Amino acid sequence: MTHGRTSQDPVTTEIIRNGFIAATEEMKTNLMRTAYNMIIYEALDFTVGLFDQHGNTISIGLGLPMFIRGMSETIKAKLRHFGPDGIHPGDVLLTNDAYTTGSHLNHMTFSVPIFDGADLIGFSACMAHWQDIGGTLDGMTTDIFSEGLQLPIVKAWRAGVPNEDILSVIRMNVRLPERAMGDLKAQVAAVRTGEKRFLELVRKYGRFALETAIESIFDHAEAVSRDSVAQIPDGTYQAESFMDDDGIDIGRRIPIRVKIIVAGDQMTIDLTDVSTQVKGFYNSGQTAGLSAAQVAFKCLTAGLELPVNDGAFRNLKIVLPSGTVVSAERPAPMRWWMTYPMTIVDTIFKALASAVPTRVIAAHHADLVIASINGRQPRDNKLYLYLGGLIGGGWGAKHGEDGMSATVAINDGDTHNGPSEQVEAKFPLIVERYALREDSGGAGKFRGGLGTEQVVRARHPIMFNAQIERVDCRPWGLFGGLSALGNEVRLERGGELERFPTGKVLSQKIEAGDAYTVCSGGGGGYGSPLDRKLDDIENDVRQGYVSKAAAHEFYGVVFDGQGRIDRQATALRRTDMRRRGLPKDRPFSTEDHSGWGGCPYCTKLIQPHPEGRAMAIEAAASGVGAWRCC
Amino acid sequence: MSSASLSSSSPGLRIAADVGGTFTDVAVFDEDSGGIRLGKTLTTPSSLIEGMNHGVGKAGADFADARLFLHGTTVAINALLERKGARTALVTTKGFRDIYEIGRINRPEAYNLFFRKHQPLVERALRVEVDERMDAAGEVLRPLIDTEVEAIARRLLEEGVEAVAILFLHSYRNPDHEIRARNIISRMMPNAFVTASHELSQEYREFERSSTVAANAYIGPHVTRYLSEADRVLSGVKFHGKLLIVQSTGGLYDAAQARRECIRMLESGPAAGVIGTRELCAVIGLRNAIAFDMGGTTAKAGVILDGVELTANQVMVGGYAEGLPIQIPMIDIEEVGTGGGSIARLAQGKSLRVGPESAGAVPGPVCYGNGGTEPTVTDANLLLGRLAPDLFLGGEMKLDVDGAARAMTDQISGPLGLSVAEAADGIIRIAVTQMANVVKRVTTARGLDARDFAMVAYGGAGPLHAVLVARELQIPRVIIPNAPGHFSAYGMLVSDLRRDYVRTLFARLADAPFDSFNAIFRELEQRGRDDIDEAAPERLDIIVKHAVDMRYIGQEHAVTVEIDSGAFEARDIDAIKAAFDAVHNQRYGYASNDESAEIVNLRLSVIGVIAKPRLAPLDAAASASADEALIGVRPVEFGVMGGRLETPLYDRARLLRGHRLTGPALIQEYASTTVLLPGDVLTVDQMGNLDIKIEVQP
Repeated sequence: MTHGRTSQDPVTTEIIRNGFIAATEEMKTNLMRTAYNMIIYEALDFTVGLFDQHGNTISIGLGLPMFIRGMSETIKAKLRHFGPDGIHPGDVLLTNDAYTTGSHLNHMTFSVPIFDGADLIGFSACMAHWQDIGGTLDGMTTDIFSEGLQLPIVKAWRAGVPNEDILSVIRMNVRLPERAMGDLKAQVAAVRTGEKRFLELVRKYGRFALETAIESIFDHAEAVSRDSVAQIPDGTYQAESFMDDDGIDIGRRIPIRVKIIVAGDQMTIDLTDVSTQVKGFYNSGQTAGLSAAQVAFKCLTAGLELPVNDGAFRNLKIVLPSGTVVSAERPAPMRWWMTYPMTIVDTIFKALASAVPTRVIAAHHADLVIASINGRQPRDNKLYLYLGGLIGGGWGAKHGEDGMSATVAINDGDTHNGPSEQVEAKFPLIVERYALREDSGGAGKFRGGLGTEQVVRARHPIMFNAQIERVDCRPWGLFGGLSALGNEVRLERGGELERFPTGKVLSQKIEAGDAYTVCSGGGGGYGSPLDRKLDDIENDVRQGYVSKAAAHEFYGVVFDGQGRIDRQATALRRTDMRRRGLPKDRPFSTEDHSGWGGCPYCTKLIQPHPEGRAMAIEAAASGVGAWRCC
Repeated sequence: MSSASLSSSSPGLRIAADVGGTFTDVAVFDEDSGGIRLGKTLTTPSSLIEGMNHGVGKAGADFADARLFLHGTTVAINALLERKGARTALVTTKGFRDIYEIGRINRPEAYNLFFRKHQPLVERALRVEVDERMDAAGEVLRPLIDTEVEAIARRLLEEGVEAVAILFLHSYRNPDHEIRARNIISRMMPNAFVTASHELSQEYREFERSSTVAANAYIGPHVTRYLSEADRVLSGVKFHGKLLIVQSTGGLYDAAQARRECIRMLESGPAAGVIGTRELCAVIGLRNAIAFDMGGTTAKAGVILDGVELTANQVMVGGYAEGLPIQIPMIDIEEVGTGGGSIARLAQGKSLRVGPESAGAVPGPVCYGNGGTEPTVTDANLLLGRLAPDLFLGGEMKLDVDGAARAMTDQISGPLGLSVAEAADGIIRIAVTQMANVVKRVTTARGLDARDFAMVAYGGAGPLHAVLVARELQIPRVIIPNAPGHFSAYGMLVSDLRRDYVRTLFARLADAPFDSFNAIFRELEQRGRDDIDEAAPERLDIIVKHAVDMRYIGQEHAVTVEIDSGAFEARDIDAIKAAFDAVHNQRYGYASNDESAEIVNLRLSVIGVIAKPRLAPLDAAASASADEALIGVRPVEFGVMGGRLETPLYDRARLLRGHRLTGPALIQEYASTTVLLPGDVLTVDQMGNLDIKIEVQP
């Protein structure tokens, strides 16, 4: 049970643990408050952390879960690059190399070495999403070179002196240099805060006590993880799920297969059989694959145990050969790196559902549901970039509890949506509607959470690019719970509604007066909907979370003439449905003939189909559910 | 009632009552004698007002003799936290009825699959949309149709709705539609509590404003009933003075305003403590102080900087993760779940944790003997000898040392292989760092250096831990005021009338519409002056404070910058920019002098100054020796700060001005004990405050 040194002093350890948590919290608050782009200050798409001299995570701020490994691996790469003797006090190390960070080029990762006298004792680091890093503005990319500026591992400051050459390269390669430099300043200030707090801890408790405490923090986290895994029955567990497509071969599903081996207090997550890397920009680097496994592991073992540190993963082995979609090799395109790992996390939960039914959760909408929008400000004709959406979606139901509605996907944590009042003050857009999507939650004894939809009308022309996944492959339920509705994109142009069988709706011009809609999926249900308490369904119907039609079809509810639940008739209907194996799950939108769900007849969907638009409108207008494009 | 005078020239009593969850604290200032009398009773949830009257009696006072009754109450916050408010509807812009439920979509507990987000106070079925719309410039995109609102009011009447909140998009810019809807609904639902968002917050962010106005509506009927009950009971006891309520800013407003804007009284007790600290600073000539308040379940910290309390613009009621945001100005108070009742536990892997679980008042710490089984911070203090088992609450309650020791041995010290004293000391040290971190959140995290501050410590458990927290932060001076257990009630006695306004107006500083700014400031000032006149029966000196929320163009989060109104009238862009740069630099460690800035919000506060009670100074001691106050000697464990020492115990009531003590020492009073560590030097000042000098190690 004990690994490494153990602390003699649990009190000092606890005090230092609190100190590290407070330090990373402060770094996070500072960056959020001073950043210049909405993706950092509202979306909180960043992570800060403190690391030991080898780059192991001591504490990371609760920002972006999927970056649980990114900073640590990046620091280790920086250490390899410069060697321990090549790093000096006052250096600021920087890179955005996608194959090092595992994510896209927008993630500028800064770290400063922390020295106690002449000794390197740790690092303070910060990864944050810059709004623009150059590269093509609209459409799909098929290699890294079209995605923007690649900065290898460099020193942005050398011994306290700014490296103007590097800074000017950055300025020249980004579309919004003032914003970029503002974010850079904010990030450097945040890592400096971390450095200061780390050194205060060193001064206060001494290096030996600090190092001992760090080791105990690791040991403690490890003990918690081991206890938690030991309670999972030994065995090999597998699951499979699918992504819609890679954005190039629209409609060709991409398999995600995971295998988990539990032996005693040790877990192995084997990602060998997730898809090989893909042609479109949905790849991510090895670090992202490792992160997905660690996020799933952390959620299942000790989700509330802080700080998040590397001790918690000592009993986790991850098998991930290179060349998969989450361990892609240069020059695979990576711009939308974050999407696939989210489904991998859900698939790991799915695999372990039979082993730990009370710990897992049904699938969630698993996408940030955002669209990249660019346009010109009417007052000065200046380019603006706006990430539309980030609307939150449904989360899966779990043992004993309904899923959460309108909550950010698992890639992100303390990520906020943007107030509509602010969006309208900043950009020539009108948010017409931002609402829960009725009936979007997967039916179940415990119902999946609801997705949301946001309708935005342009007051001036914009370019619209949606890169949304899991439109076809819906969030699944567990133990007889049904799938939820998937994500969806719609356009309204010239008064006509367009619906798409895919979420990859790229390079679309939207004129003044036209509108776009992004919809997030719900969460999968847990347990058979025929077992849901009638009181709960009654409330679902009263609140409009579930329509009467859906209550009838999926939950077996019969309403009387006054619209109240007829309990007797309901019991009969439920018995009958059970006997007939109903309700039937519909895991794919394109195979769902009950409502609009894309063309059900094609094996290869074309987007946008030349006549798809007209057919979709016709289908919608006539109220006939499914349409065909072929 | 309105014949009363607020000036202290006419005689009479000034009564303050702070109704908390467990205790009701009463402080009575007698303007004839210059003395303060105190009373403490258990809060009686069934009839808060009766309990208060009882407390006033215990303080030896009578409402019939009072001119002014200052009241802080947890009635509003409890109604919110316990979900005991009215059946409430939210009327909102078409397309946005779910904003209140969607919230900001964040998951602060990022790895917790069982995370729960906020629970709206209004169910979805009672969130109703109106087909109206403004844009961000306040221009009407779709006009409001009166008949649509009337139909909604009829429906809400049928639903038995008791309170209606109204939020329309961009009402901070143009409240016209909200005003009209409110008038229609008020007319058609005369018995309902009707409130519109712009009356509380004219600041952008529709979710936060929804939450604010919904909470106001939700607690409105409850608070109204409470205030009516107060009126009834107060006239029954022949009170002919003026009732004023404490707001979360620490300022006072009158009962009529409190009925409309009940959400402003949420945090009245903690805020009053900070106001008490401000006044204490003014009396003894301190510019900067940290207000440190520790009770049974939490520790709180606020800041007085240059004689003024720091304020915040939003609070999350119920915590950051699943709380409801309330977007109104209030005193900036940070809080941690560390109090006397905080439970110490071993987590997996024998890691020692303190709080946030609390034994509360019931069952309470093990040593209370009321069924508590897990060792708490109070038990640890008892086992270290820092609390005298037979003198707790003036000896009214005996503490069970053996029970506390058994629990400590079984649950903490045994498994860790420590002595009972080592474990108890460890628990206190952990609690102290947690509290030091909360002080850092209001100082260091705001760019302030805690070492430049004195700490004023109060609340039942504050004096017990103050010098430890101060050492941790290298704070050289600690002040324990008189009656630290009643300090919030004292703060109410020294508060002023106050109204606060915020108005969002996005503008780049370089081409700022100063005419509009000045017009808005004038309008808000006039409203404030009218409100103060409404609350005060006589003309008061008025102080008007101007501030703006600013940010660099491109940033989102703004900082509040106090600006002299002259700078606005003179359109002094450079002075405003320089003031902003300075605040940004202090708070975040850098400023961008060359970058342009923009203004987001205008803020204005109007303060009606009430004459402060002039307390009579304490009798002077004949000599510096405090031997006459010595009531015993007991062994106290100081751990790494000096080990086990025979420690003198003093009775605070017998300490006189000029008395001087050197630690180690304990100073015992009715509801609190002050601990001095070895080497600490205490002087009793002329007002009776314990002024403690601490040897801090750099």
